[in-house]
Amino acid sequence: MKTKAIKSEEYVVEEEPYYRPVSNEVQVFESAFSNRIPVLLKGPTGCGKTRFMQYMAWRLKRPLVTISCHDDLTASDLVGRYLVRGGETVWVDGPLTKAVKSGGFCYLDEVVEARKDTTVVIHPLADDRRILPVEKRGELLKAPPEFMLAISYNPGYQSVLKDLKQSTRQRFIAIEFTYPAKDLEVEIVMHESGIDRVTAEKLVSIGRKTRNLKDRGLVEGASTRLLIHASHLIRSGIDARRACEVAISEPLTDDHEMLSALTEIAASII
Amino acid sequence: MQSKSRTPYDQLWEGLMKNLTADLFNEDRVEIEGVMQDIASFDPRFRQKTLALCHTLSLSAPSLVPSVVKRLRKTSQALKPREMERWVTRAFDLLESKGMDQFFRFLSTTHDDALEEFRTREGLSLQAVSAILEAYLRGISGITLTVGQAEESYTDTGTVYLPPLLSVFKDRDRNFLLYKMAAAHKWAQIAAGTLTPQVESPHGADGAAVTADRGLEELFAHYDNQELAADLYNLLEAARLESFLHRELPGLMREAQELKQEIFLTRRSLRGLSEQSAFVEGLYQYFLKGRVKGLMPAPLPAALTALDHAAQFTSPAETQGILKDLYEAATKLEGPYQHRSFPYIGAIKPDRVALCISRRKEQRRKQIEEMISKIVDMPDIEVETRKAAPAAQTRVERKPRKDAEYLLVKGKLFELDEETKAVIRQSGLFSDGILLDGSSVKEGSVIFSIGDFLEGADREETGVGIRYDEWDYRRGDYKRDWCTLIEKDIHPSDEPFVDLTLKRYWGYIKILRRKFELLRKDLRILRRQKDGDDIDIDATVEAFSDIKAGISPGENVFTKLDRQERNIAALFLLDMSGSTKGWVNDVEKEALVLMSEALDSLGDRYAIYGFSGIARSNCEYFTIKRFDDRYGERVKKRIAGIGPKDYTRMGPPLRHSARILRSLDARTKLLIVLSDGKPEDRDGYKGDYAIEDTRKALIEAKEQGIKAFCITIDREASAYLPHLFGEVSYTVLDDVRKLPNRITEIYRSLTT
Repeated sequence: MKTKAIKSEEYVVEEEPYYRPVSNEVQVFESAFSNRIPVLLKGPTGCGKTRFMQYMAWRLKRPLVTISCHDDLTASDLVGRYLVRGGETVWVDGPLTKAVKSGGFCYLDEVVEARKDTTVVIHPLADDRRILPVEKRGELLKAPPEFMLAISYNPGYQSVLKDLKQSTRQRFIAIEFTYPAKDLEVEIVMHESGIDRVTAEKLVSIGRKTRNLKDRGLVEGASTRLLIHASHLIRSGIDARRACEVAISEPLTDDHEMLSALTEIAASII
Repeated sequence: MQSKSRTPYDQLWEGLMKNLTADLFNEDRVEIEGVMQDIASFDPRFRQKTLALCHTLSLSAPSLVPSVVKRLRKTSQALKPREMERWVTRAFDLLESKGMDQFFRFLSTTHDDALEEFRTREGLSLQAVSAILEAYLRGISGITLTVGQAEESYTDTGTVYLPPLLSVFKDRDRNFLLYKMAAAHKWAQIAAGTLTPQVESPHGADGAAVTADRGLEELFAHYDNQELAADLYNLLEAARLESFLHRELPGLMREAQELKQEIFLTRRSLRGLSEQSAFVEGLYQYFLKGRVKGLMPAPLPAALTALDHAAQFTSPAETQGILKDLYEAATKLEGPYQHRSFPYIGAIKPDRVALCISRRKEQRRKQIEEMISKIVDMPDIEVETRKAAPAAQTRVERKPRKDAEYLLVKGKLFELDEETKAVIRQSGLFSDGILLDGSSVKEGSVIFSIGDFLEGADREETGVGIRYDEWDYRRGDYKRDWCTLIEKDIHPSDEPFVDLTLKRYWGYIKILRRKFELLRKDLRILRRQKDGDDIDIDATVEAFSDIKAGISPGENVFTKLDRQERNIAALFLLDMSGSTKGWVNDVEKEALVLMSEALDSLGDRYAIYGFSGIARSNCEYFTIKRFDDRYGERVKKRIAGIGPKDYTRMGPPLRHSARILRSLDARTKLLIVLSDGKPEDRDGYKGDYAIEDTRKALIEAKEQGIKAFCITIDREASAYLPHLFGEVSYTVLDDVRKLPNRITEIYRSLTT
């Protein structure tokens, strides 16, 4: 099959993504959208932040530009830069500028990973001015009402370096994501992987037990995503214990003793 | 330090010789020679340890050394060298911790059964798997359970005790499975309420149910033979817990089924047991396999149905019903009842459970009390920042509720949860506290929840000692959990020490700040690069004009961000021993102020701790500035509050500092120790012993990737320093007044 390249600002979520609301986050997001307030999604990895964004983009019928932040991301990566093309310098919009121009959703994933000077670029866009200064061209872009800025961040990594500045965080409304409740998580695992209820329940039980080990040897417990991975493997015929090992224990830690403990926990349940 | 060239072995040898010859009651040179020869003839694997033991003994009782060596020789015939080493280690530990009596009792019990423990057996030691079991238990339970050692497995609800060695099976995996099952079973006892049953008490007021934590003791109080009752209760509950475990840990229980049958095979027949013992053993065997080896005492068949019945129960209250009948049936049989160990289900120890629960409650109560007084004393600003701390930030603002109760202490409102209410009920109101109900609390008042603050406090481990090993160079081994380190807050002082220092050094501080600011690697844009993330417009324009002019253009037309970030975490560890009294202490404090000013402008992460203490059980570790504390009023007051305390036991604080640094994410981890001389403590921590332990602690830190640097103020610049700190990583100041200037220079050179 040939892969079709789509321009990032034209990426529209066409099919309804599977998303199960945990509480009233959908309404909160919708009113933030209509009031033009940017949104901060926080919570551990793999608990549905990105899926939620996709779902909201589909629901509100807006294009979605996702930018995964990393510590080499510069302001020009976001806003745009001059490139040399055929003997001329040509201005190329960055993804943030594209999202502003097309009135889409711009989602900055794991925003704390970005350098602090990069995050500041979104400040004028994130308050009531809603403008994006494009310094190099001497322009100001005014965001259309449909434009929405969302960032995600995982407060779990308690590092002095990786914290969000107050001046950034106080521009957003914040929705907290946590692991879904037991029954809900079972349903999500079942839906995503098509596995039977009994196995899904066991996997969720393993996941919840690994979360007990957070800060006691594990940085974080198993996310719903990991549980879904495990159930995919089980469905394609991998032995359940082995699946838990490769999809849950091994990704979580390299510590030998912790690995054994995780394997034992999985073996005790499956 | 003329002894440095000799090995510890030689030193011990000479020391022992000297002590033996100096003993007036022993003029028999031949005997001394014999003792020394005996020691020399021992296998090298336990020779030095033996020598160290004799040496220690000879300090207080040299006349006993010959008989001890004789004993050792005798035992060495029964044990292999490796086993012998373990035996001598145990003897040494006993001598040091329990004293002479216990030591000799141990030495004289050399019959085979007693030595069995030291023989290398096929089996699995708890030590080898305790870390895994602990993580396993925490995972499945979600509470903090530790693993401890005891002959029989049981739990006091805080620690799960398991046998030190399992050799029920030959196979390691089987033994491990048994450990796991025993651990899971103990968790089930806690989780399903076996250990905290509700009991109708005739002693309680109005016959009301006794509070759950004393339930277990109360339950057995009715029975004359409490051991028998506890075993019966354990068995009945075990039957009930089976279904709980099947539900929670189906995978484990599937394997357990097989293992239970294998345990059954190792049980002996009921023949030869007293009727009562046979009755209980029969129940246990039936629990394992549904069968009994041998003939059962009369009422057993009925009892077995009781056991089957118990499996259907949902709460310990139901079990209590049959326990009575079963106990009565058992007492009609012939005694005496002798408790035997039951692998997997272990034992129930009501007194230990009660003790543990009451301790936990006491601790909680203290914590809450402390927390309330702390919050009351805190300036409002700090309360706000604490509230904004990650632990509490997700919580919604509290609004006063009509139906809740509130405590008003010095103008601050606390919400009373059940726990706090219980504390108040027990110990009365806190000083100046007033109880309010929700209707009299104004809308919009700021309300504190002690719970929010406690969450953080739990993790800080305040007041709870942390055990550290100590290196004994003579033994060539660690003394396990030998020292207890206690983290303490330093009492802030209102003296304007910091301000005075700032005034005194203001000129120097200005230069210092500038110097350190230069170290800051702010982002720089490198121009004219071969590659990079942006176009260098100037260079591009030049290149184009070159092309137009027909010259070959330059290729360096990119700009690049230079990002060599400083990623340094430095921990300053300050000697607060009594010998620093006077101006050493003042200068140390001044040095800290200058250092803080400099680092503040540089932006490196740093922490300041102090240490002192008396004896191994009381090593104090004072918090002056944690890594995430801001250098502000509070820290300044703490610096002013630094004062000389007691002794200098350097091992534990070094190990603790290493532990703190280990938990940080930084490319360079620095541990800077400020001290004023040799490590020394009251209980024999001095001389070579203290130096070797300190050295070992520094090596441990190095192994963990921490760079240690010691600044010592010592006019004599003694010869031991290079050995103690390592050739390059220390500096000696002969004049303490140089410290403030030097420390900042040292830091600069260390980190650039």
